[in-house]
Amino acid sequence: MATFFDQVSEMGLKQATIAKVDESVERLTAGMNLNDIRAALRGDEPRRPNPRLRPHADGFWLHIRPSFYHTEVTQIYPSFRLGWLSTFMFVWETVTGIFLMIFYTPSPEVAYQDIWNILGNVPLGQLMRNLHRFGAEVMVVVVALHMLRTFITGSYKHPRQFTWFTGMILLVLTLVLSFSGYLLPWDQLAYWAVTVAVSAAEAMPGPEVLGTNVNLLLRGAPTIGAGGLLRFYLLHVLALPLLLAIFFFVHYYKVVIHGHSLPPGREAIGEDSGKRVPRDERTYFIPDILTSELMWTALATLFLIAGSIWFYNAPLERQANPLVTPLHVVAPWYLAWSQGWLKLADKVFIAFVFIPGLATAFFVMPYLEVGKSRRYASRRVGITVSMLFIAFMWMSNWMGSPEYRVQSSPDQEVSQELMPQEGHSALKEVPYEALEPGVYRPGDVVPENPHLTAALAEFEHAMMQRSCTLPGTDAPWPECRVEETPTGVRYGNNFTDDAMPNPDAWLTIDNKQHNMRQLILTFEVLDPDNPDRLLYDYSLTGYRHELSNYEEQ
Amino acid sequence: MQVKIIIGTIAFMLTMIVIGFISLLEPARMEAFTEAYTGRSIENGAELFANNCATCHGIEGRAEECFDPSSGEPTGCIGLPLNNAQLVCGTRSARMEQLEWAGTKQDFIQSTIASGRVGTAMPTWGEEFGGPLQPNQVLDLTLFVLNWESEELCAEPTPEPVGWPATVAELPEGNPDNGQDHYAVTFGCQGCHGQVVEEGSNTIGPWLGNIAEEGAERVEGYTAADYVYESILNPNAHIAPDCPNGPCTEPSAMPGNFAQQMTLQDMADVIAYLLGTNEFESSAEIQLPE
Ligand code: HEC
Ligand code: HEC
Ligand code: HEM
Repeated sequence: MATFFDQVSEMGLKQATIAKVDESVERLTAGMNLNDIRAALRGDEPRRPNPRLRPHADGFWLHIRPSFYHTEVTQIYPSFRLGWLSTFMFVWETVTGIFLMIFYTPSPEVAYQDIWNILGNVPLGQLMRNLHRFGAEVMVVVVALHMLRTFITGSYKHPRQFTWFTGMILLVLTLVLSFSGYLLPWDQLAYWAVTVAVSAAEAMPGPEVLGTNVNLLLRGAPTIGAGGLLRFYLLHVLALPLLLAIFFFVHYYKVVIHGHSLPPGREAIGEDSGKRVPRDERTYFIPDILTSELMWTALATLFLIAGSIWFYNAPLERQANPLVTPLHVVAPWYLAWSQGWLKLADKVFIAFVFIPGLATAFFVMPYLEVGKSRRYASRRVGITVSMLFIAFMWMSNWMGSPEYRVQSSPDQEVSQELMPQEGHSALKEVPYEALEPGVYRPGDVVPENPHLTAALAEFEHAMMQRSCTLPGTDAPWPECRVEETPTGVRYGNNFTDDAMPNPDAWLTIDNKQHNMRQLILTFEVLDPDNPDRLLYDYSLTGYRHELSNYEEQ
Repeated sequence: MQVKIIIGTIAFMLTMIVIGFISLLEPARMEAFTEAYTGRSIENGAELFANNCATCHGIEGRAEECFDPSSGEPTGCIGLPLNNAQLVCGTRSARMEQLEWAGTKQDFIQSTIASGRVGTAMPTWGEEFGGPLQPNQVLDLTLFVLNWESEELCAEPTPEPVGWPATVAELPEGNPDNGQDHYAVTFGCQGCHGQVVEEGSNTIGPWLGNIAEEGAERVEGYTAADYVYESILNPNAHIAPDCPNGPCTEPSAMPGNFAQQMTLQDMADVIAYLLGTNEFESSAEIQLPE
């Protein structure tokens, strides 16, 4: 066999190098040389035998991809690229996750400090964290939409029932993966959301040992601590991604085996033509689908990066403290529905009957719903039910928010709205310089101080929703109900059953240290039936340092 | 397909430009972030201070306006002033010099808070030493205490040291009524020694209801007045035998800074109150603090 040097002496250096590069490219692509690639990019017809099929036949990376698609399914409709995007998001999360792993230690002593370090000391660290967290939320949305689309186009029907089944496994894994990542920053938000969720296991019916032990297994100790964090970490970075990858391949293998389903209107009822693609309706993977996927990769990357820079900021609250329970514990939005249900019905019923029942129904749906036609017109009931279900989930999510039926006393609610321990509020976002020392009432206008004025307007708004009257304002009042209860008179309006009659509330700002202000919200509400008694008497103190910069960070 | 290649290329280039652009802003962003989190840490510290420390160190950390943690009633301050130039001003503060602390100022405050002061009323706060607070909370408190350092505070003139006479007889005439006030409220003796009229009400130091007799027997050659005078000015000169929780520990748990806080008149008033007389007999010169 001729060595490179023989070739050089035969053809000259330039030609020999070109030939060598050509050969290397052909090996790397498992069958396409430079000319073939150029021709593919130019859009020329392939030579015979078609070299563009060889990467599928001989190469590893493309062997699972079909070498051509039905032209009908390569448009945006019917797939909307959602399955592909789900896959992309999974890869995306893996890459950004590995970056974060480098700087993270799963131990309660340092986990929070590590996140802080990623944000404050690692170049592009904040971006990476935002990318990963934003990506996780986008992934949940994309997977849910992908599921919706396969439902709407009837793609779960024979022969693709098992594809749907494995898809359900992927959905569950996606949600659990998101949720297990939630705990890792070890802040208050994370700690309490996970504590509350895991404690549901305690309510497990059957012998008590079962609930206690499942709970113990998850937390690694009676309360979430070092053991629990390590378990969640290992689930998050190892077990769940591995399972997801495995089931992805099962899922995708099924997709390829059955062929991508055609738009429902394009095939005769009861027929499945996904696998039989006439020659003139083929769109080849190389170059068309590949180019398209590269374009989508670039667009999705741009979207995620721009989103993480300008529209999304991953929250980081105070370090987890088992001794301090926040006023409202909220689940991440994509699980808020479960919290909504828990408020409505018995914990055991929801966690061990309703949710598992619903999940089972989804898993077996394609085996029960066996109507032959995939057409929309023949599936009015199914599509209506799916829309109602979406509305129901939307409602449940709203019921999961603290707005619905977990009001604490009105004075505390107003304080929480203005000076929440964690997260943003109108008052928190007033810049330091605008916090002029003084005493302010709700709705006061502070001359030449639009920020503080806006916060006081917010104060007034919050008070109005939770009071019957507010001395000194003539804004329109929601009507107040007065109810006699065995424990005394209760006041209520459209927003709350527990309103303050004629409250006095004010905000005091003064200096705590040379560069720190103290903000005190005080509420004094007399009992109208017994003027010697204070119905509500509460004050909340907050601090604001010159550098804290809540308005931007 | 050509269109897709173009769109993809443009998107890719835009992404690179965006990343390049924000990479340039990274150093400034990281600094702003670190500052903002330091600010928030100090805010948390303020909250923790109000909830845990103000009882002994005063609401503004000046060892004034202290209160009882359970009833909220005002009491004398047991703790030292922390909002104080001696403690927080300069890279090596006066307190660090005095206690011969070799590390940094932050370490000094942080380790004092975390481990408390053995043998004094200053409790242990750090979780790692059995206290209630997490390490990050101790850090928040430390940054809060250090944040009292301001131009205004550090420009306050150091108070002229009082020239303490070597014998108690040279003090001015004392007023027992004012003395009672000083004992119970101003200097917070009652917080440790309990009420003079009620034996057993003491919590940290010995009960002083019978110090007029006991004091005369503590040290060879001292009268009761000599002994009480010395005990207040220089607690470590002699350690009392019995404290409520066993033998009194060395060094003394009693604050050593009354020499800086009191005037000659305050001292005379307190001694007059404890001994029930304003005729102070003296038989020896006491050991003055350094
Ligand atoms: C039970 C009363 C008490 C409480 C509560 C208390 N301290 Fe103290 N603290 C003291 C006493 C007494 C001293 C003086 C110890 C000594 O004599 O060296 C002291 C000393 C200190 C010192 C050293 C001052 C110096 O000049 O050497 C610091 C710093 C301090 N405390 C911080 C705190 C912080 C922060 C808290 C709240 C977490 C706190 N303390 C709570 C009683 C208290
Ligand atoms: C932080 C707690 C604390 C405070 C505040 C305190 N002491 Fe003491 N005191 C002690 C302790 C502990 C002792 C015993 C150790 C010693 O002898 O130094 C003691 C000892 C004494 C003694 C000697 C008692 C004896 O039986 O020998 C006198 C007198 C005394 N204190 C007076 C005062 C006076 C007066 C004040 C207020 C100006 C005061 N103390 C404030 C803790 C305190
Ligand atoms: C991590 C999650 C998931 C990934 C990565 C994923 C990936 C994919 C991919 C790449 C396809 C091929 C074509 C397309 O774009 O539609 C596909 C098809 C399909 N998926 Fe998923 N999927 C996921 C979750 C789900 C879920 C939750 C369901 C439903 C419960 C589901 C049901 C289906 C079905 C029925 C098809 C066949 C569609 C057809 O042939 O038209 N998948 N999936």
